[in-house]
Formats: sequence, C-alpha cells, structure tokens
Amino acid sequence: MVDLLATSPDTWRDRATEPPAVPHELEPPREGSFTDRVTALRRRHSLRERRALENYAQSRKPERGWPVADNQAVLHFLRALLRDRKRTFVLLVVLNGMAAATGLVVPRLLGALINRTVAGDAASSLNALAVLVVVVVVAQAGFTFLAQRTSTVFGQDLLSSAREYIVRTILQLPLGRVESASSGDLVTRVTRDVGTMSRSVQYGVPMSIISGLTVVLSIIAMLLNSLVLAVPSLMVIALAYPQVRRYLRKAPKGYINEGATYSRINSTLTETVEGARTVEALGLADRRVGAGDDDIAVSAQAERYTMTLRNLLFAVIDVAFNLPRVVTLLVGAWGYHEGWVSLGQITAAVLYVEALSGPLDRLVGEVDRLQVGAASTSRLLGIAQVPPDRTPGTQLPDGPDLVGSDLRFAYREGHDVLHGVDLTLDTGERLAIVGPSGSGKSTLGRLLSGINGPRTGSVTIGDVELVELPLETLRTEVALVTQEHHVFKGSVRDNIILAREDSSDEAVWDALRAVGSDDWVERFPAGLDTQIGSGNTQLTPAQAQQIALARLIIADPHTLVLDEATSLIDPRTARTLEGSMNALLEGRTVVAIAHRLHTAHDADRIAVVIDGRIVELGSHHELVAQGGEYAALWRAWTS
Amino acid sequence: MRDFPPVITTFYARSGDGPTTGPLAAPDTRTPFRFLLWTLRLQWPVILTTTFLGMFWQLPPMAGPWIFGRAVDEGIVPGDVSKTLQWGAVLLAVTMVGALFGILMHTFIVRTWLIALYGTIKMVTRKAAQMGHVLPRRTPTGEVLSVAGSDSDEFGALTEILARTWTQLVAYLVVAFIVLSTSLELGVLLLVAAPVLVGAAYPLLKPLHRRQEIERSRNSDLTSLATDIVAGLRILRGIGGERTFGSNYAAQSQLARQAGQSAGIWQAAIEAVGVLFSGVFVVLLVWLGTRQVISGDLTIGQLISFLGYALFMIYPIQTFFEFAQKLTRASVSARKAIAIFEQRPPWQDPAQPVGLPVHGDLADEQTGFVAHEGQLTIVVSAVPEDTSALADRLGRYLSPDTEPVSQDIGEGLKGRAARRAREQRAIDRARLAELDEERARAAWGVTLGGVDLAAARLADVRRRILVSDATSQLFAGTLQDAVDPHARLTREEAEEALRVANAEDVYDALPGGWQGRIDERGRGLSGGQRQRVVLARALAQDADVLVLVEPTSAVDAHTEARIAERVADVRRGRTTVVTTVSPLWLHHADRVVLVQDNRAIAEGTHEDLLLDSPDYRRVVTRAMDANAETREEVDDRG
Repeated sequence: MVDLLATSPDTWRDRATEPPAVPHELEPPREGSFTDRVTALRRRHSLRERRALENYAQSRKPERGWPVADNQAVLHFLRALLRDRKRTFVLLVVLNGMAAATGLVVPRLLGALINRTVAGDAASSLNALAVLVVVVVVAQAGFTFLAQRTSTVFGQDLLSSAREYIVRTILQLPLGRVESASSGDLVTRVTRDVGTMSRSVQYGVPMSIISGLTVVLSIIAMLLNSLVLAVPSLMVIALAYPQVRRYLRKAPKGYINEGATYSRINSTLTETVEGARTVEALGLADRRVGAGDDDIAVSAQAERYTMTLRNLLFAVIDVAFNLPRVVTLLVGAWGYHEGWVSLGQITAAVLYVEALSGPLDRLVGEVDRLQVGAASTSRLLGIAQVPPDRTPGTQLPDGPDLVGSDLRFAYREGHDVLHGVDLTLDTGERLAIVGPSGSGKSTLGRLLSGINGPRTGSVTIGDVELVELPLETLRTEVALVTQEHHVFKGSVRDNIILAREDSSDEAVWDALRAVGSDDWVERFPAGLDTQIGSGNTQLTPAQAQQIALARLIIADPHTLVLDEATSLIDPRTARTLEGSMNALLEGRTVVAIAHRLHTAHDADRIAVVIDGRIVELGSHHELVAQGGEYAALWRAWTS
Repeated sequence: MRDFPPVITTFYARSGDGPTTGPLAAPDTRTPFRFLLWTLRLQWPVILTTTFLGMFWQLPPMAGPWIFGRAVDEGIVPGDVSKTLQWGAVLLAVTMVGALFGILMHTFIVRTWLIALYGTIKMVTRKAAQMGHVLPRRTPTGEVLSVAGSDSDEFGALTEILARTWTQLVAYLVVAFIVLSTSLELGVLLLVAAPVLVGAAYPLLKPLHRRQEIERSRNSDLTSLATDIVAGLRILRGIGGERTFGSNYAAQSQLARQAGQSAGIWQAAIEAVGVLFSGVFVVLLVWLGTRQVISGDLTIGQLISFLGYALFMIYPIQTFFEFAQKLTRASVSARKAIAIFEQRPPWQDPAQPVGLPVHGDLADEQTGFVAHEGQLTIVVSAVPEDTSALADRLGRYLSPDTEPVSQDIGEGLKGRAARRAREQRAIDRARLAELDEERARAAWGVTLGGVDLAAARLADVRRRILVSDATSQLFAGTLQDAVDPHARLTREEAEEALRVANAEDVYDALPGGWQGRIDERGRGLSGGQRQRVVLARALAQDADVLVLVEPTSAVDAHTEARIAERVADVRRGRTTVVTTVSPLWLHHADRVVLVQDNRAIAEGTHEDLLLDSPDYRRVVTRAMDANAETREEVDDRG
C-alpha cells in the first residue's frame, strides 16, 4: 500500500507566516512631505495595477473550468445580433438622431433671439421666434420619447436573444464534459457574466450609439454655427484624446478585476450564511468574519486602483472639456471686434460647448461599460467553444447486449484508473460492482453508460459503440442513475418527461404510478401542472427520488447503471424507495455500483473492483465461498 | 474621518476588537427612514466634506455664466481688450479650481459610497456570525445575501446623491441669488421653476417603480432558472429534457423582456417630460429676458448669463429628481435590511452561568437517551428525523423545523394590500423569534454531568459538545484550511485526522496536497470525499463530546468499515455518539440505543439487541415487509 500522504511534510504550511490579504506596501504613509506622498501614491498605484493585471490575465486563461473566447468571437456575435435587427437598429439611429438634432437647433434659435434683440426687432417677431423654439422643444421631447422607447425595445430584444443563445449553448454541452466538470464556474457565468453582459447590451450598446451620435451632431452644429468659434474649441477638446485612450486601455481590466473581488465577497458571504450551523458548531465565526473582511480589503484595493485611473482621466478631461468656454470667450471677443461673429453666434457657441461635455463624458463611460461587457460575453461565448465529445453515427444497435472489452481510462494523462477491464453483461441480469473509493468502479459505470468513451478498448451495445450513438438513442438504451436527484423548477410533468418530451399525460401517470407517487401528485391541486423545484412546492427527499425514478421509467432504457443511487438519502427513504426502485428495475439489465452490501447480496453477480481491475467476479455465494475481499467484507457486515 | 473599508464592530466583535458602545452599537431599525439616517450618521463628516468640496467643483457653472456676461458687457461689446483678457483670466482660474475640486470630490464620493457599501456587507457578515444557525431558520438565505449584494449598493448610492444634492442645492441658491439681484422677475421664475419641474414628473415615478419591481423580480426568476438548469445539467444531458427546459427559460426570458420594455416606456416618458419642461423653462426665461433687454432693465451680457444659468438649472433639478428616486429605492432596501438587522439571537446567557462539569454522562430527558462518559454510543432509529432531532438537542441547536419568512410578497400586490402583506410577514417573523426565545429561555432538557445545558454559557456548550450533522459544510480554501480551520493542529495531528476518516485519497487527488484548493461548499469533490473531509475536521476538533450524524452515509462499505474501526479506536475513552444503522459501525459500539417514537426503547450491545429486540432486528437487518408500511408514511408527508 502506497502512503498517499508521503508529500505531506512538503505541502504543509505554517500559517503564522502567511502574508496578509493586502500587503503593507499598499497602506498609505501616515506622514511625509507632499512629494513623498505623491511618490508613495504612484508606487501604490503601479502595485495595484500589477495585481489587477494578474487577476485579469487569470480570468482570461482559467486553469480549470470552461474556456474563454477571444474578442474576435465577441465582435462576430454582436454583429450577428445586430444583423438580425437591422430595421430596429436603423430606427434607433434615426430617432435618436432626430432627438439630438432638434435639441441642437434650440441654441441656434436662442442665439437668433439674442441677435434680434440686439438689433432691436419688434416684440412680435421675438414672440414668434420664442413660440418656434417651444415647438422645437416639444418636437425634441416627442423624439426623445420615441427614441428612448426604441432603445429599450432594441436593448431588451438584443439581451433576450443573447441570453437565450447562451442557455441553448449550455444545453448542448458535451455529456462527458458536463459529467466531469465542476458546475461552479458555469453558475458564475450564467449569473454574474450574464448580468454584466445584460447591462452592457441593454444600456451600453444603445447609449454609446446615442452618445456617439450626439457628439457627432453637436460638432456639426458647432461648425455650422461658426467655424472660427468651433475649431479652436474642438482642438482643445482633442488634446484630451491620448489620456482618454490610455484610460480606456487600462480601465476595463481594472473593472473586471473589481468585479471579481465582489463576486469573491459574495461567495465567501454565501458560504458563511449557508454554512451558519457549521460556523457555529466549529466556532468559526471569528474566522469567517475575518475572511469577509479580507475579501473587502482586497476589493478596496481594486476600487482604489480604478479610482486613481478615473482621477487621472478627470484631471485631463475636466480641463479639456471646460476650457473651450474660455477659448470661445477670447476668440469670440476677437471675432466680434473684427466683425466675423455676432453676439448670437457667441451665445450659441457657448451653449454648444456646454452641451457637448455631457455626451462626451457619457461616451467614455459607455465605451468602458462595453469593454467590461465584452469580457463577460467572451466568457459566455467560451462555453460554445467546447468541442463535441462524440460524433454520432447512423448505425442503430442490434439487440441489447452490452459488452466492454479491454477498458482503460484516464482523467489525467498517464494516470489510468482502469487497467484493461473486460465485462459482458447478460441481458436481464443484476450485476453489483463493489470496491473501495478510488478503485475505479464509478469510472467503469460511466464507460458502461456511454458518458465517456474509453481510452482503449470498446463498449458496445448490439455491436455499436456507445459513443457513436446519437444521444436521444443512447438515453433509451442505457441510463446512468446517479446520486443526484435534482428537482427542476417547473411542473411535475416537465420534471418527468425529460427523455421523451412528447410523452402523453397517461404515460406520465403510468410512470408515477409505477414508482408509487401517483397519490401524492394527485393530491396537488394543479396535478401534473403543479410547479415544483426551488422556490415552489417543496418535495421530501423521498418524493424527489421518486421523481428521478419516474424519469427513468419514461426513458425506458433496457440497461440501467446505478451509481450510489440510494446512498445520499437516509436509510429509511432507501427502503421506502425499494418498491419504486423495483418497479423501475423490473425486466431490465442492471449494473449497480453499490455502497451497501445488501445491494450486492441481492445481485446475480458481483464484481469486486480494486485498483482499476476486476479482482473477483461471481455470485454472492461463490464469492463468500472463495474467501477473498468480498467474503471479508461480508463477514464484517453480518457479524 | 472614516475611510474605506470601514471598521465595523456592530453585532459581532472579533476577539481583539473593542466592544462597541454608543449609537453605533446597533442600527436604528424602528423605521426604514430612521435606519437610513443611522447609516448616514455613521459617516456624516465624510458626507459633509464631500458637500464642501462639491461647492468648489460647481464653481465654474455657478460663476461661469456671470463672468461670461460681464466679459460681454464690459469687454466684448465696448471692445475693451484688457477687460476681456481680465475676465478671460478669471474664467480660466475658475475652470481650474473646478477641475481640481472635481477630482477631490470624486475621491470623497467613492469614499462615502464604499463606506456605506462595505459597511453594510460587513454588518450582514457579522449578523450571520452573531445569529449562527438561527438565521436560516427565520430568513431565506437569498434575502440575507441580497442585502449584502444589492441593497448595500443602494445605501452607497444614497450617500453619493445626498452629497451631490446638498452641493446642487447650494449652487441653486447661489445662482438664484445672482439672478434675483440682477432681475427680480427672472430670479423668481428660476426659484419657482425648479420645484415645479421636479413635481411634474413625480406622478410618473410610481408606475415606473412598480414596473421596475416586476422587471427585477422576473429577472431574478430568470437567473434562478438558469442556475437551476446548470445545477441539473448532468440530468438534462444524461437523461434529456433540453427542449423542455430550454423553452421554459426562453419563455421566462420573454416575460422579463416584456417587463423591461414596459418599464422602459415609462422611463422614456419621464425623460421626455424632463426634456419638455426644462426646454420650455429655458425658452420662457430667455423670452422674458429679451423683453427686459428691450425695456433696458437688462444688458445683453446679463441675458447671456441668464441663458447659461437656465441650462445649468437643469442639473440641480435633475439631481433633486434623482435624489427622490434613490431615496425611494434606498427606503425599499432599508426595509429589507431591517428584516435582517432587527433580529436578535434568542439565547441569553444565564445570570449566573454554571460551568459544565468535566465528567459525567450526556442525557436527554425527552427520549430518555443517555450517552455514558467515555463510551461510543450508537443511536439507531427507523426514522432518521428522530435521530437528527436528538442530535440537535444534544448540541443545543434549534431544529430546522420552521419555514423561513420571506420578504418577497410577489409582483401583483400594491398599495394597501402590499402593506397588509408586509405587516403579516412582520408578524410571522416576530412569532418565529418569540418561539425561539421561548425555547431558548426554558430549561433545555439535556444535561451534561447533571447540569442542564441552559444553565451554562452557550459558548461553553459549543466548546464542549460538537455535533457534526448532515448539513456540515466545507468552505472554499486549501485542504489544510478545511481540516484545520483554526490553524492550531500540528501536521501529524492533521495527517492522523485524514487517516482516521480514510480521506487520504482526497489529499492525493488534489494537486498541491495540503495546499490543494477546495471549491465553495466542496463542490468538485464527490459526496463521499466531502463527507470524509468533514469527518476529519470534526475529529480534529478533539471535542470532549462528539456527536456524529450519519457520518458515512455517502461512503462505500469498504471505506465505512475502516472508518468505523478507526473512529472507535481514536475516540476510545471519550464520549462519542454516532447515529447510523450500519452494522459496520454497530459492532464497534460500547452501547447501542434504539429510539422509536422519540423514546429510547432498548439498549445494549449490538449482539444483545439483535438477540433480544425484534424491533431492533427489523431496523438493522432491513425487514422485507418494511416497504408497504413506510410508503404509507411517505404519503402522509406528501
């Protein structure tokens, strides 16, 4: 027997020497001159940047879990979504353009009003002009309403398509990957990443279009109003461009890092709340509170990084976007003196530069948001890049004979967990597989049920390789029953008809009757339409297990592989379910990966798997008589 | 002045933290409004500073138009170059001051926002630490988490908008003063217009909020559908049902889209009304201004200033508007936060606590169950609920037999009906709390060495008696953290714990050994692996009294046999209680107690009981006729 703990001295850490969650260098100095403090801030900022970049790089190339798509894929996805909605998109641009344009007419008219006032026009002409402005304002309000409405319709539509696409993709993930991968990463993606994508698709896409449009139209309006006044102001604004670019290059990574710190906070707190009893029992309250505080300290550093980034941006754009006011004043004075511009033009120019800074600010913010959204989208699209694990052929099985030969399998390269297993199932027999954990018995079950293909050797059913069967066919030939008896959010019917989604209600009732659940389902007021699953009517563990069994009755495979099927539920339900279970097993070939010896006792044959090999195979009596592994265990059980 | 992250000692002080006193010790949970005031009071110096900085940040829009007007009147129109340059320089200076204070204000806004946000999250964490297992009894976990996850952000938003509102109010008054002193008529118009404009869109806010509420709730349903699909993905890909659940999701997604669109229409209406009213207001102002210019009461420069102010006045108005919106949302969030924060632990340590004796048996009055000191006692029952209830009592835990009271009253209710529903929930919550307190106050009915557990400090009970039940959870971290969460074991002790729990294969399977990462709740490990790590952790605690509930239910027979033998060996001489029906455990027991209908009806060694008690035989060697009988019981529960 190898000592599995051989490396223990090398990997054990003395935790008194563990570094704090946030290194001391990130704490600001308490004293020092102004320059010292600025130098210290710069040092902290670059350290924070390094931490943010490291985390960002990690999120792009996860060690474990599902892949992440590249930016190209995101652009492609967005383009495809837009292509499907050309008409709404055009409408969105036109309406927003109209809203912005009418809005931009107002300053011109006000300028004219001033010119006429200076010129001493009659009051009636001024009144008429004022009424005209009111009409324009009303039109602007109308266009704003329509434009906003279209944006919402467009954004919501885009969003629903995107998220439905993602869920469809998830529902097509390869069976082998789904069985082996932890679902944690996937949960994060369908919750947090869909949330982030939503915000950017729903608001980011329309808003950046609107802001961009407004900026362009404002610039045109400025140029139309007066070239002399507009050009110097626009040049000053353009000075901010390099800093804006720098910001846009760095900020999204900062925000993605920030987002990651918040989901860390959330998952730690979730564990603390859900594990409240454990925390209390083990006296871990101090530790959990400390862990939460550490997460927050790390998050605060991520916030400080982006805050400094923003401050560096503001330092430039606050000046660049406000300076045009001074420029307009001085250029205007000169132009007025020379007779190139009127007071009305100066007024309109001032109003325009005032009106331009808002959309410009927003544009920077929206591009920010879009980039953060793109990162989440690339994680979502990564799910679609998982290659399929099987290519279904056209051949259909000829009979129910299940044969495995020379089976080897490795989860990690070079670490076979099965070493050439041969096993032929007799139709209608019950075979129990027993063996210690880690012996490979669960893996054998997965190969026999076609979840994974073997590394070498083959598993065939009626002379066809299991992994070459289309999934719909495979499911009705052989099914793996695991300890998971998840009850889906949905109706009782939805929960049962999985394998044959066109099943009639009679078939569903038959299945329920077979597992002995018909009477409690009948007692639900809405019968088969009763909503169950999380947040709905709660089922007892036994009822949930019965539902899981009824699913299999509907699937009606001729061979069942039971993996610890009853092990995670309490012994009494196990016994309660025996009737339901028997109804399911009746007339089928059964491979039971057994934890409980009575399962083995009742089987026709028992295979004892140790270290990836079948070491004993025979009936209960044969094996007991043999006096090997099984016999020893049986003695312990019954003594 | 406070900075972020804030130090919080409300509800729970870590060892080393001083006790909290004064108004900050506990939030004011009497009404949502008082609660919000309390959170603001936590950091009023920061909010005040932000407001102060904000006034300088607002200097350019406040003084800019006035300066510009003077430049027109004194410089441009008469053609005075030096005056123009002079006013130009002043405008430049004002712009620079604005930019500098803009940065300072932003820094402080981030600070106040994050103090509120992090502070709330820390308070929720501390509430969970303070309440322990009682919290999930009363409140759905999701609602606790959403206070930290989203309501905290609303409180942050409130502090930000409050500072900005003050700033804008000051700017509004300053501008009003400038305008009033230039022209009474126009000044009055400016002053009156702002509240009218805020008021005009107000009727639209209510329907908008209702729709946003529906949108939020449908979106959260949608998220839980997606989570549900992922959680059951193995089944969906293994057995089928992709089409059904794919279309269920799509249907809910469309519902969420509709809700979002109908909320969006109200939002659009509000925007449009804002554009309309502020536009009309500007025109009105300019029009009145031109009349005054004609009558000679106003110079052209002053009129241009007015125009600038008319445009600027939109911002304070929008800010006040935003303030009203965010205050409403923060109040809703405050109500949710109060439902968590107002709860108090039911336990009160006795005035004169008795120390639990070092020696003695652990006895339960209700069932008559006794675990003798230093022995391995195994509890056998046909009804697992009985044994887990017994284990809860032995450890002084309130059984999870209550339905938590949700705050969510559904999307249909509004107005008085909604208020009534909320009041009902509050009453239900109070009733639960009272029930808990009643149970916690009375004698507990379990004694250790003759002392009732209620007579001792709860902390003392927890230290002496460790109950590891089916809900025991692993936390994300390294394997070393999992086995030794307190960081007080030697490596040898930790290895020993892994060996006794037969969990060496977990060590081997994780890359990095002790430093191998365990995911949240031990996801990634198999059920059996998880159970064995939990067992190793419980054993390593080395409690005086250890109660293990079904410790090997997910483990195969080979492993179970090894674990039972090793646990019996390592706990020799210490009081240990195990609930199981597995023979592999039973013949290691010093004593076996059969519990039926909440009574200990038989006891003895496994062998004796097998011979003497038919009831026992039936439970342990599963009787074939148990099927029919137990199925009826299941039906009763359905």
